[in-house]
Order: sequence, then structure tokens, then C-alpha cells
Amino acid sequence: MGLRNLLGRSAQTKEDLVSERLCAKFGDMNMVSLATMPIRQRVDVCGEIRRMTVKPRAGVPAVEIEISDGTGELTIIFSGRERIPGVGHNRGLTVSGVAHMEGSRRVMLNPLYRLLPKPGQ
Amino acid sequence: MSPKTKDNRTAIARLKGILIGKPIETHLDAHHRLKKRVALPVFASDAISSTAYATEEILIVFLTMAAIGLAAFDNLVPIAIMVVILLAIVVNSYRQTINAYPHGGGSYIVAKDNLGKYPSLVSGSAMLVDYILTVAVSVSGGVAAIVSAFNDLAPYRVWLCVAFIALITFANLRGIRESGALFAPPTYLYIISLAALILVGLYRVYFQDLGPISHTGEVERELLEGQKALTLFYFLKAFSSGAVALTGIEAIADGVPAFEKPEPKNANRTLIMMAVILGTSFFGLSVLAKHLEPLKDHEGRIKDTVLAQLAEQVYGGRNIFFFVTQFATFGILILAANTAYADFPRLSSVIAKDSFLPRQFTNRGDRLVFSNGVIFLGIAASGLVIAFGGIVNALIPLYAVGVFTGFTISQTGMLVRLLRLKEKQWPIKAFFTGVGAFTTFAVAMAVVIVKFTDGAWIPAVVIPSMILFFTSVNRHYVRVKQFLAVADQVVPPFRTHFVVVLVGSVNAGVVQAVKYAQSLRPDRLMALSVVGSDAEGAELDRVWRQSFADVELITPIDDFRNLTDKVLEEVERLDGLQPDDLITVVIPEFVTSIRSQWLHNQSALAIKARLLFRPNTVVTSVPIVIP
Repeated sequence: MGLRNLLGRSAQTKEDLVSERLCAKFGDMNMVSLATMPIRQRVDVCGEIRRMTVKPRAGVPAVEIEISDGTGELTIIFSGRERIPGVGHNRGLTVSGVAHMEGSRRVMLNPLYRLLPKPGQ
Repeated sequence: MSPKTKDNRTAIARLKGILIGKPIETHLDAHHRLKKRVALPVFASDAISSTAYATEEILIVFLTMAAIGLAAFDNLVPIAIMVVILLAIVVNSYRQTINAYPHGGGSYIVAKDNLGKYPSLVSGSAMLVDYILTVAVSVSGGVAAIVSAFNDLAPYRVWLCVAFIALITFANLRGIRESGALFAPPTYLYIISLAALILVGLYRVYFQDLGPISHTGEVERELLEGQKALTLFYFLKAFSSGAVALTGIEAIADGVPAFEKPEPKNANRTLIMMAVILGTSFFGLSVLAKHLEPLKDHEGRIKDTVLAQLAEQVYGGRNIFFFVTQFATFGILILAANTAYADFPRLSSVIAKDSFLPRQFTNRGDRLVFSNGVIFLGIAASGLVIAFGGIVNALIPLYAVGVFTGFTISQTGMLVRLLRLKEKQWPIKAFFTGVGAFTTFAVAMAVVIVKFTDGAWIPAVVIPSMILFFTSVNRHYVRVKQFLAVADQVVPPFRTHFVVVLVGSVNAGVVQAVKYAQSLRPDRLMALSVVGSDAEGAELDRVWRQSFADVELITPIDDFRNLTDKVLEEVERLDGLQPDDLITVVIPEFVTSIRSQWLHNQSALAIKARLLFRPNTVVTSVPIVIP
């Protein structure tokens, strides 16, 4: 079995490795996973910031981030802000809000958020 | 005086200009017609040149393989007679091909018209192999003539061959094809010196009692001591070796349009002249060899060619006549190689035009020759010569199979055509063509069987694999053509247009790239920068907003320090957002001089290479020229 395990591990893609790490990080927080998250309901989810976008939405600056907990992704938009202290790449956070669909993406506008401590803090 | 423009070509282009010559405008491609006396050397050099080695090949079979010793010389003349009869049959059927195909009827074209796809491919590949072998065999033979005259050159045999092939290749890239002024003197010199050799030789044999060449060497005695009885197998083997004398007689049928009007009539006369010269000189040489008993082995231990030995004996030593004969032999063999340089590129371009070979073979270069065909032929022939160590004999079995396959298919095609069209006198013509087809087929089979282990198996492997290659190339082209066919109702493949500018840092190149991207008026414009850490991302973000307040900047975090993979992943993700989108990836690129370009854009190069194979993705480089 050992060899097969080894082969299985080495055959993993990089995305698999990342989501494995994220699942381990957020799995024991007992929150709704992003894959099974309901739409148009208040929900508490968590994840790590994987991608940041600064873009003007209708002339107003907005911070758009994408979080992932290893099972799926969620886009969060904080409108009216250019920068939010503490919100940066690889930061874990929990959010509480209502998501809707934009095309094929789930988007949450201005949710409540709580930053998780950085590793080692 | 015409005004001069500034010469801003690169060094390579200048070197090419010196080696190849000035480029010729396309419309200047005047196809000049050849008079008969010029056409004979142009087209017949290949066929006539084979007399330089055909007798020798027969002797090699008798002396070394069959080991029949002195009996070899008694069997030489019967074989020569058989070869001459075969020559008459083949020439007779080619006369009809010339009449039927005044626009040039190589066996590929005849087979394509009358027999269909696969026979034409068989003959096409056989002929292509044949032309490569013509170059290899002729040049090796020419060098053998030189080596016979100057034995000191023997160690450099292979490199001499390669050097001459390179020389002919360059000459042909310059476009000397069919230039009679160049062809005529060596060909006529060879014909004259051959005639002189035979006449003087026979005169001395019959009237001055010139005896056989005295052989004293170890190798020679060993060869003469063979006492075995001649079997049918070796007789056929010797015959098939002698049949290489027929190589090259298809050249006239291929090149009918090059003759003066009326083309078929002039071509036919030239064909007959060639056949007579070829037949008599081959027969004469064989008779002479019977009396003078020259020796030759297949490993090159006897350095002098049979022709050289005959000349030495007839002229009584290595005098001026001997050297003239050797140089004439060398000259005509080099020209014979050159004939293949006219035919191979032409045939490969015809096959490529039918989509069985890569299209590049139809490209014509600066001098209006099919340069890629010429270069390919040169490389292939050099490879063969090196692989076989410049010994002609090793290549002969390969050669004969291709020649006779080509003959057989061409004759069969003519037979089918005659039976279909039923022109006047068709039964007689069909009879002669049928005899030709059958005879050449029998010879081809005989060659394959008796020489299978000597290398005749190589064409038996090479030709089918070439056909596989042809058909797979064709399948690909057909598939692409079907895929690209414009339907009646044109449906645009995409509706939304995303433009992604790849950004490393904010600099002048990126500013220009973003400006360019905006000019495309995309549905969504974004800059993408893969960042290594949050601090890096925040800093880029700050600088970005000073320069481009209104352009979206996406900064994904790089998990594994692999820029290319991450960029591809991001493009993949964007593509997933819309079902009918086109993504343009704009890459700012620094262009410096050729010396320092490698310091830049290595990752851009990798990204471009990977994105090339992605559907619905356009990759654009915005160059910033740094002088």
C-alpha cells in the first residue's frame, strides 16, 4: 500500500495540494462549507484569501477578494473602500452575509467579517 | 543609374545573397525550351552515367558472391544482352508515355491518372527514394573515379562525397537546373571517351592481341580462384545488378515540356538516341571487360573502378587518355546527381501539392527553385553516403528496387489508359506496354528476392512507411481543410471579449500595453499580476492605483513559484466565467538587440508557448524597443 500511497500523493495536482491544506485548516471550524453554501440566505462561512482585485465599480472604488476553504470559492466585495487593513493574501477570515449569483460566481456584498489570526500570531 | 536603397539586411541574409545569388522576381520564371542536342545531355546524363558502374556491379556479384572465378567473364556478355533487351522493352513503352503525356508523365502522374491513389503513392515514394539514391550512388561513383585516378585520396572518400553533394546542393539552390551549357560538355566528353575506350580497346584486343590485365595482388588472386558453379540465383542477382544501367531513363518522359516543339516527337528522338548510346556503350564495355578481365570486390579492397582498370590496360598505362576518361566519368556522374536535383524537388512539390507531403515542399526560394526539396535531397543523400561509407555497391540493391517499381507502375498505368481510351492501334501498343509492365515487374520481383538480404529489404520497409507518412500527412490536411471550411451561415465563435494584460511591475512597457489593450475596446479589461506575498501585492496595488485608477488589477497569490502555471490557471478561470468568450492576453515585451535579448522575456516566452495551444485565446506582444 505504501507505494501506491506515495504514487497517489505525487500524482496530485498543485490545486489538490492547496485545497487539501485549506480543508485541514478550516475543516474543524464547523462552519458551512463553501461547496454546499446556500444562496440568498444569511450564512456564516470561512476561507483564506486567494486572490485580490482592486476595481472601480461604477466609479466607486471597491475591494474584491476571493476566498477558498478548499471545497469551493466565494467572491466578496467591499464597496467604497480602496484598502482594508488586515485584508491581504493568505489571510484567513470568517464572513457572515447573504450571497447571490453573478454569472457562475457566488458573490457576497459587504458581509460582516472577522479576521482570523495569522499563523504564528 | 538606378537609385540605391540602404542595405539593412542582416548578416545571414547577406551571406545567403553571396552563396545563393540575387533573388529573381517571380514573373521572370521563363521556361526555356531545349534543343535536342542540349536536351540529350540534360536528360540522358543520369542514364548514360550508369554505364560507369553497371558492368562493375555485375562483376562484383560473379566474383565475390558467386565466387565463380574466371567463368565470370564468360557470363558477362549474356547478361549484357539481357540488359540491352530489357532496355529496349522499357524504352519502347516509354515512347508511348511521352506521346500520351506531353506535359510530363512521371510515373507518379501516370499512376495518379490511371491507377488511383495508392499505386501513385507507391511510385511517388519509390521515385523519391530513387532520386536520393541517384545522388548518393552517382556521387560515390564519381568520387570512385577520382579515387581510381589518385589513389592517395582513398581515405577521404566519404568526405569527398559529402563535399560534392554540398557543392551540387548549393549550385542547385542557385538554380542551374536544365542549363545546357553546363551539362553538354561533360556528357559529350564522357560519350566520346567511352566510345574511344571501347573502340580502341576492341581494336587492340582483336588486332593487336591485347591480353587480359595481369593481376598479382593477394585479393585479386583470391577472387580469380573461385571455382563454384554458377547457380540461377546468382545469375539473376548479377542481372539485377546490371539492370541498374536502366536507371534514369524515365527522366525524358518526366521532362517532355522542356523540349522544343513538337515536344513528343523531339522527346522521342532524344529517348531513342539515349537508348542507343546507353545500349551500345554498355554492351561494348561488357565485351571489352570479357576480354580484359578487370576485377572488383564489394568491400573496396580493390580501389580502382572497372572502368579505370580497362582504361589503364587499353591505353597502356596511366597516361593522358586514362586521366581524361576518369575525369569524364567523374563529370558525368556528378551531372547524373544533378539530374536528381531537378527531378526530386519537382516530384516532391507535385506530391506536396496533392497534400501528401508537407506544404513546405511547394515553396520556391529566392532563385525560383523548390529550395526545401533541394536541401532535403542534399541532406538525405549525404546521410546515405556517410551511412554506407561511400561504397556504391552497398547502395545498388536499394536503387534497383525503386527504379523497377517506378517502371512497373508507370507501364501498368499506361496499359490501363490504353485499355480505357482505345486509341488507334491500341492493341499493338497495349501489347508492348503489357510486355514492358510484365518484364519490369518480373525484374523488380527478382531484385527483391535475390537481393533481399543485401539490402533490398530496405525499400520494402521504407516505401510502405513513406506511404504511411504520406497518408497521415494527407489525413491531417484533409481534416484541417474540413474544419476550416466556411459554412454558409457564418456563426461568430465568440461574443464577449476579455483582455488580460500580464503585469510584473508598473513600468513604461506596461503603460503602453494597457493603452493598447484599451484600444481594443474589450468587454472587460483587467491586469493580472501573480504576487509572491501579501506585502508585494499591497505595494503593487498602491503603485497601480496611482497610474491606472480605472483599470482592474487582479493579484492572485502564487503558491508554488510557478508563474506560467498560475497564469494559465487564471486564464482558465476567466474562460470559465463566460461560455462564448475570447480572451486576449497582452504581454508587454522588451525588445533589445540580438545579443542581449535572452536576458529578457524568458517567462513571457514560456507563457506564450503554453497559451499557443489554448483555444479561443489570442496572445499579443506589445513591444517596447530599447535601442
